[in-house]
Amino acid sequence: MDSLGAECTPLKHKYDACFTKWYSEKFINGERSNDCAEVFKEYQACIRKVLVDRGLTKMIDDARPTIGSVFASAADDKDAAPPKK
Amino acid sequence: MVKFYQHRYSYDYSWSTVSYAFLTRYPNPFATHVLSVDTLDHRIDTATGDLLITRLLRKTNSVPRWARGIMRGNDAYILEEVRVNPDAGTLVSKTRNITHTRLMKVEERQFLLADKDNSSHTLCRNETSIVSNIGYGLNSKIENFSLSRFTDNLAKSRKGMLYVLDLAQRKGLFRQRLKLEEQISPS
Repeated sequence: MDSLGAECTPLKHKYDACFTKWYSEKFINGERSNDCAEVFKEYQACIRKVLVDRGLTKMIDDARPTIGSVFASAADDKDAAPPKK
Repeated sequence: MVKFYQHRYSYDYSWSTVSYAFLTRYPNPFATHVLSVDTLDHRIDTATGDLLITRLLRKTNSVPRWARGIMRGNDAYILEEVRVNPDAGTLVSKTRNITHTRLMKVEERQFLLADKDNSSHTLCRNETSIVSNIGYGLNSKIENFSLSRFTDNLAKSRKGMLYVLDLAQRKGLFRQRLKLEEQISPS
C-alpha cells in the first residue's frame, strides 16, 4: 500500500516491514520493545511535510478531540510535536 | 439526524492472527477504493504498555448523484486510531471521516476481543454512528444511503479481513506461538 506522498512510499514500506515483523514476533508475545522507532521517525518526518503541503494538517487537528486525541499530547513526546506553521 | 448501527460476529482465528490482519488489512482485493494508508503516530503507552497508532486513509469518493453537488473534492480522508493490548487480547479502533463532514460524519468503532473460552476464536463488535445536519430535505436520502453503504462496507471489510487472515495463516506467522500454547496446556 502506497503512501499519500509518493516520496514517502519507500520509507513507509520500510516502516511497514519493520512493523509486521515486530508486531508478530515480539509485541504479540508481550515484548514492549520499540524496534521501529527509528524507521518510523524518518517516515513520520516525510509524511508530516506532505500533510502540510496538501493543507491537511488543520483538518486532522480539528478531528483530534474525538479521534487520536490520546496520541496527540505533544507534552509527553517532544518529537511528536506538530510541525511549525 | 443520528443513526446508529451495531453488528456482532466472530472469526475462527486466534486473536493474535486477527489483530495482525486488522493492522495489515490494506491492500486487499476487496478494498480497491482505499488509495493510500499512512501511519501518523506509532507509540507504546508508557502507563499501560498498549500500542497506540493513528492512521490516515485516503479513499475514492463514490457518492450518489444527488450528493455530488454538496461534496467537493475527489478524495475522502479518514482518520483512524487503534489501541492494542496483547495481554488482555483487545484491539479497539475508531475511525471517522475528516472530509465531507458538512454532509455527514461517520464514526466507526471496532472491538476485536480474544475469546477467553476458545483461543482459536475472536469476537468482533462493530458500532457505527452517522450524524448529518445538512437539512435541505436530504436527511431521509442520507439515512437510506448510509444504511446501504454501511451494509456494503461491512460485507467488503469482512471479505478483506478473511483474505488477509488466510494469508497470515498460510505464512504461518503465529504457528510458533500456538505450538507453545499446546505445550503449556497438553490435552
